[in-house]
Amino acid sequence: MGRSQGSLRGHIATPALLGLPVAWLIAFFVVPIVIVGLYSVDVYSLFPGAHGFTLGAWHGFLHSSVYLGLFWKSVKMALIVSAVVVALAYPVAYYLALSGTKRKYVLLLVLIAPFLTSYLLRVLAWKVILGNNGVLNSFLAWTGIRSANHPLSQLLYSRFAVILVLAYVWVPFVALPIFVSLDNLDRRLLEAASDLYASRWQAFLRVTFPLSLPGVVAAFFFVFIPTVGEFVTPSLVGGTSGYMYGNQIADLFSTGFPDWETGSVLALFLLGVVAVLTLCFARFTQAREAT
Amino acid sequence: MDVALSRNGRRLLSGFFALLVVFLYAPIAVLLIFSFNDSDIPAFPLSGFTTRWYHQFATNPDLKAALGTSAIVAAISSAGAVALGILASIALARRRFVGKSVVSAVLLAPLVIPYIVFGISLLLFFHATGIPRSLLTVVIGHIVISLPYTILVLVPRLTQIDTGVEEAAYDLGAGPYRTFGLIVLPLILPAVVSAWLIAFTTSFDEYAVASFVVGTRQTFPIYLYSALRFPSNLPQVIAVAVVVLVVSLIVIVGAEIARRFAERRLAA
Amino acid sequence: MERKLSREELLKLAAAGGAAALATGPVGLARAALAAESGRLQVLDWAGYGNDGGQSMFAAYVKKYPNNKPQFTYMTNESDALAKLHAGLRPDVFRPYVGWTKYFATSGLVQPWDPKLLTNFKHLNPFMVKAGQYNGKQYGIPDDWGFDAILYRSDKVKPKAKSWSLIFDDRYKGKIAWFDDLNMLTVAGLYLGFKNPWNQTDAQLKQSQNLLKSKKKNVRLIWSSETNLWEAFGSGELWIAYAWPNDWVQMKKKGLKVVYMRPKEKPIAWVGMLMLLKGSPRPKLAHAYVDAWSSAKSGKWLEDNYGYGHANTLARPTSSDLLRALQLTNPRAVTLPNAYLDRDIPRRAVYARMWEEVKAA
Repeated sequence: MGRSQGSLRGHIATPALLGLPVAWLIAFFVVPIVIVGLYSVDVYSLFPGAHGFTLGAWHGFLHSSVYLGLFWKSVKMALIVSAVVVALAYPVAYYLALSGTKRKYVLLLVLIAPFLTSYLLRVLAWKVILGNNGVLNSFLAWTGIRSANHPLSQLLYSRFAVILVLAYVWVPFVALPIFVSLDNLDRRLLEAASDLYASRWQAFLRVTFPLSLPGVVAAFFFVFIPTVGEFVTPSLVGGTSGYMYGNQIADLFSTGFPDWETGSVLALFLLGVVAVLTLCFARFTQAREAT
Repeated sequence: MDVALSRNGRRLLSGFFALLVVFLYAPIAVLLIFSFNDSDIPAFPLSGFTTRWYHQFATNPDLKAALGTSAIVAAISSAGAVALGILASIALARRRFVGKSVVSAVLLAPLVIPYIVFGISLLLFFHATGIPRSLLTVVIGHIVISLPYTILVLVPRLTQIDTGVEEAAYDLGAGPYRTFGLIVLPLILPAVVSAWLIAFTTSFDEYAVASFVVGTRQTFPIYLYSALRFPSNLPQVIAVAVVVLVVSLIVIVGAEIARRFAERRLAA
Repeated sequence: MERKLSREELLKLAAAGGAAALATGPVGLARAALAAESGRLQVLDWAGYGNDGGQSMFAAYVKKYPNNKPQFTYMTNESDALAKLHAGLRPDVFRPYVGWTKYFATSGLVQPWDPKLLTNFKHLNPFMVKAGQYNGKQYGIPDDWGFDAILYRSDKVKPKAKSWSLIFDDRYKGKIAWFDDLNMLTVAGLYLGFKNPWNQTDAQLKQSQNLLKSKKKNVRLIWSSETNLWEAFGSGELWIAYAWPNDWVQMKKKGLKVVYMRPKEKPIAWVGMLMLLKGSPRPKLAHAYVDAWSSAKSGKWLEDNYGYGHANTLARPTSSDLLRALQLTNPRAVTLPNAYLDRDIPRRAVYARMWEEVKAA
């Protein structure tokens, strides 16, 4: 890069550049979250009645086995999705990065392309496929593999459906960070390992995998964080047992009898957990970069 | 010999790759098949070939209105996100200043917020400030969501460019705006286009936030979501799905090819 | 409610309407008053009742007042409407259901109607009309209505009794659908035999909630839109559902062997109540709109096209199945001993929270 940046003449001052984007985010991102916070402690409310600072809603939430249980259920679901997705994506990323295939970037694009198409439409595709009279079951009945009276009914409106569809949605995306970290691997390290009589398996376990770990961890987080609060897929294919924490938040704001206070508490709790996880992840990557 | 993969290993993995690609595209293929199926319900056995679902969707005013609405919202919000993104990226890539990491964190924070939380916070915000919900509120939300993506695309490109040409321009007396317009912008154009495309597709496909802050007009994902929950128009929706998916695949591939081409030319 | 004209307003109207208007008497005055109302009628209504399909219901109004065509905002449910009203939306009319009549009547948000201005009022089912009253004033005008009862596949299901127990039946695990509404707690209360399921004590509510939580494992789907129910029921994924009369009609049309069962603990009847908002600048136009909605012609259209009942006793659907399911020949269909009319739930917020907990459990 050129000489020291501060002294370049004729430049637009930094605050002028940053002013608009940062102001936009403060106005439409930070302030709204603060309002949610105020709502959760009843300092601000839309509905008439007595209002004043109270931690009642927070207290109720933290002592409620139902809400925390639901949160834990969603965390488990997100963990399973993330693990499955990383497990599926790693081998293909490895293949693309390390097999020396000439068209690796093209194949990578082929892999990633579905992720860049519509999310809802891909959920739609699965809704059509699963289901007692859906494509899969009707195919099984048609070919006689299963009788028409006994379809696989746990495919749709179940926790399984939620995990399957979410994994399907995220696999293409996850391949990228893993691919990048494998692609950056210095092959000479592997050659050195081979020179030292290590088998390919050993080289993988001792060299490749540990070095690709940052990419794997990054991929895991990239999926886990948005999936904990996921509500769209559970509402479409989850049925009763696939009801997740995100659905509860949406319901508290839109059905029954308005309970925006509790809804705000749940939303902020989710945000808090996600923020903590993100910070941990950021620290982890910084620490790694330092070593 | 290959140090990373044995011949069997390679065969195994390439087979796995092929299987995964099949898994990824099979549902899309299923949609394609059933978009031509002559039956109200998508199920086996197939009932015969028809193009009437495509005709129906082409004449469905609600659906077309929703597509148009989404296109408008996406166009405006992506333009806004890219504009703000360029400003922020120049500052992040070219300037040193106190509190850079905090500013970066704020600018990138929308990446990690669950959309349901963000949607609700915007809902409350607009209530509190008395701004009625409308397409404008959706645009505002989408700009926030897309901004980090544009920054993540533009900053690397800006750091890649040698500032020597810019400085030469300054030495020759060009002001900051001319330098930007004549020197920097053309060099980062591929990245700007990428950023714009990402912002556009993010907005066009976005359901969660839009569902909380939209007014009376429907965006396409909102139309789609209600069609998915209330599936009386399922075959038509499948036809639309195929069209949108195919078009977006073509656009993605085309954009990538164009970007490669442009960057190769610029590097030369 | 009659707008009590003050002296000033009277004089202003006279000036506006001219001496001729005054000379033609009270009708002329009313017309003149109406002429002073302007702008499009603001309607807050459910999806399907506006320009997205319900146009026939108010076509007569549009014909008469083409300059005041209704403009719609949609409400997904009463909770959503309440939020919108508090956020500053100012519609002229909106439509909560009968269980909310008392709540809105006492909320200060609405004003009573003047039945004398409604030509179709005398044809409306008297029990439904009574349900729209509070303190002797007519806050809600009933139009659409239906039952909550049980729909089941007679070829797959053998109920142990004609009772709400069927939606809790362990034998049919995975084949049952519930409705996404806190009324599920009311139904649980009915099944458990409580005296007043709409106002259960804490202990009773806990019992109802525990029943629901324990039986939730049998439930495949908790539906909130009829078409979602139709898709799942029609494709054989569900055999038993908490359902409305039209759902039975639709499934029968698909050729399924279905029965619409009236439980011995009694079904619940729901009625939509059009309400007039306080401070509306267009009360007379609102009355005209409601009158159009309440006509026998609109009623027949509603029954034929949406499968809901209509409060106008002269409205008869084409489908004899629907006629039977709604028991339209029985004017007492919505009340005891036939059914429980849905009513105010004093502790609605508590019920709502408990229902959310059932879904979350």
